[in-house]
Amino acid sequence: MPRYGFVIDLKRCYGCYTCQVACKAANHTPQGIDWARCVPAETGSFPTALRQMVPLICQQCADPECLKVCPTGATTQDENGIVQVDKDLCMGCKYCIMACPYGARQTVDEWKTYFPDADGDLDPYEAYAKAEWEEKNGYGIATKCDYCTDRVKEGRQPACVEACPAKARYFGDLEDPESEVSILIRRERGFQLNPEFGTDPSCYYLPPR
Amino acid sequence: MLPNLKAQSKWGWLIAAYLFLAGLGGGAYVTGVVADFVGGESAAISKIGVCLGFPCVLVGCVFLLADLGSPANFWRAAMRPNTSWIARGTIIITIFMILGAIHIAFWLWPFKGLAEAAGTRHFIGVLGAIFAFGTMIYTGILLGASRPIAFWSTAMLPLLFLVSALSTGIMAVVLIASLVGGTYAEPIHSLAKMDILLIILEMFVLGFYLQGTHRVPESRASAELVLTGAVAPLFWWGVAVLGLIAPLLLDLFGVSAAAGAGARSFAVLASICGITGGLFLRQVVLSGGIHAPLRAGRFEVALPIV
Repeated sequence: MPRYGFVIDLKRCYGCYTCQVACKAANHTPQGIDWARCVPAETGSFPTALRQMVPLICQQCADPECLKVCPTGATTQDENGIVQVDKDLCMGCKYCIMACPYGARQTVDEWKTYFPDADGDLDPYEAYAKAEWEEKNGYGIATKCDYCTDRVKEGRQPACVEACPAKARYFGDLEDPESEVSILIRRERGFQLNPEFGTDPSCYYLPPR
Repeated sequence: MLPNLKAQSKWGWLIAAYLFLAGLGGGAYVTGVVADFVGGESAAISKIGVCLGFPCVLVGCVFLLADLGSPANFWRAAMRPNTSWIARGTIIITIFMILGAIHIAFWLWPFKGLAEAAGTRHFIGVLGAIFAFGTMIYTGILLGASRPIAFWSTAMLPLLFLVSALSTGIMAVVLIASLVGGTYAEPIHSLAKMDILLIILEMFVLGFYLQGTHRVPESRASAELVLTGAVAPLFWWGVAVLGLIAPLLLDLFGVSAAAGAGARSFAVLASICGITGGLFLRQVVLSGGIHAPLRAGRFEVALPIV
């Protein structure tokens, strides 16, 4: 069985937010939900200050906190190591939002239009996105990135990987030592975010410059 | 440079009200059971305590349901007790509510004879008290199981909630006993004395709880938020002054001989202050919850709004 994983190359990321927007476009997420996002960080102080963009997604932990705290059984881990939420079983207690160290779990109560100044009904494109969101996810329940499970099944890459213009994102099988992600992690000293939480994330980062 | 850490925003007043009422209900029930064993004049007090237990927790559960995003699935809450503290807690409070309801039923018409059988009543009482303690303590463990929030993930929190629950439970019994009248002067006097000890204990526990936040940046940020930041007015006025200092002074004056016939008014006032403070305490702890920053090499990032 594969264990799907991500490699995000921090030295290549220049913070264009394409991953964030591509994820929105592919998954029809409403306002307030960003499964893929870019967060600015800085270190040092003038004149030696440094800035760095840190892209965040669900880390698909091998030993996920969100799975442990979920009381309903809505959270499961599929055979590819991807943590999935069953929208029909979730009761919306938000415990997973508190327990996830990576902020991957998000919820909204309603669809807020992206174009509040427009008159009348949603335009057809937004109406389509809203319908898609309601079919696959919904309101009041915990939602999360699933590494574009549906696209990967069709043999495609996750939307954020395909869209990244800096080629800072790689997707592949961590179990296969010859996969691009495994080689990158080995050769470029890939690391996991906050390993002290002991969740063994499947998302690795390559060191910044 | 430490990023600007923000507190969680998804658990608010509804959850605070639930944690508070679960604690108060458990505390009142234990007070009632203990008073039953003391016997004599305390028997009437016992009835008040026991009758507060189950209804308070039930009302608390209504607040909890109101917070759910998909309340139709609430019945699934106990499906994963092997790992989830919400599931374990659901089982604990359900058993507590069933035992509490049985205990109340002893005084109702068809089962009235059972109340005279002290053995059965005591048996249910002890069993119920065990689950009442479970209810009071689990509310702290529930938050503590959220590991990235260091302000919650500490062994002091269950203890703090337990002491606060017992204290607010006693005060709820004192409040009702004082308001319904009758001749409860002696038991109210002893409960007030007990409450003084609990309030002093709670002050120490709260102090140690906050002192214990110094170890990691996210809990230091939590302590800063609570002591000097946006939550500070609620903490200092709502918890410290209204919830601890005021009831302590009022109780001290109430039990002293100086109060005389006014003792009952002091007890009522102390109880109202202390009970409100208990609710504010839960809200302060919830709104102080800050997730750990993520570390990527030299860089630290705060989680965007959680």
